Amino acid sequence: MRTVIAVAACAVLTGAAFAHHGWGSYDAAKPVTVAGPILTSKFENPHATITVRASDKTWTVTLAPTSRMISRGATQKVVAVGNDVSAYGYPSTVEKDEMRAERITVDGKSYEMR
Amino acid sequence: MIDGAPEIFVALEQSGFSASIRQSPWLYPAANVGHIIFLVLFAGALAVMDVRLLGGFAAIEPAPTLGRARRLAIAALAGMTLTGFFLFAAEAGHLARNPVFRLKLVLVGAGLINVAIYELWARRAVESLPAGAAMPAAARNAGFASITIWIAVAACGRSIAYF
Repeated sequence: MRTVIAVAACAVLTGAAFAHHGWGSYDAAKPVTVAGPILTSKFENPHATITVRASDKTWTVTLAPTSRMISRGATQKVVAVGNDVSAYGYPSTVEKDEMRAERITVDGKSYEMR
Repeated sequence: MIDGAPEIFVALEQSGFSASIRQSPWLYPAANVGHIIFLVLFAGALAVMDVRLLGGFAAIEPAPTLGRARRLAIAALAGMTLTGFFLFAAEAGHLARNPVFRLKLVLVGAGLINVAIYELWARRAVESLPAGAAMPAAARNAGFASITIWIAVAACGRSIAYF
């Protein structure tokens, strides 16, 4: 009986934590669009990341796992250094000048990252 | 978030070994899947041991049930440690600063201390018990602590990505 209570308590606690945190530590209430040339590009797991020189500052843009990027057509070439990108996503509540992209647009073509 | 992380973890994250984990298309996902499979085996073996310590499965004497489950638990824990190290190495500098990851390590330590206490002070008495015997308090406490601690470890592990 004690076991059942412990399991139930943990399930309730973790459930509450997840319900609150959706897509990690990103503020979905303040979406931003970051547009500009790609300065650096890491096509790596667990998430590809690029840095983008936007009009206001240089953003670190977190993308998707590489296998998903490739399956969506957003290959290493698409996010190569020098390409112009527009990334729509949410700013991190933890890391300064970092955002997670919901989708990116390169050469008029959009790629979903979620 | 890598700023201020202990140097050894930053160095690990920046090592060629860690870079090759990140740059491989399959290594990181494979470690991730492997970690979960070992988790399932570990949780299953632990559940058998903990239920036995709490007084369940009492039709058979405790020693053979605990002995077989222990072997699986040790093998699964070794698998989790190996796959976990791959996952950690890829992002060592960042994870070293993650509060939930730190809490998880503390809880793993608590889980292992619980095992050590049981092994040192309760195991011998438990494994000489016949079928149907009531479990001593030390065994029941160890079983209850084990279930609680390892579920918290699992919850922390899944929560790392959200903090």
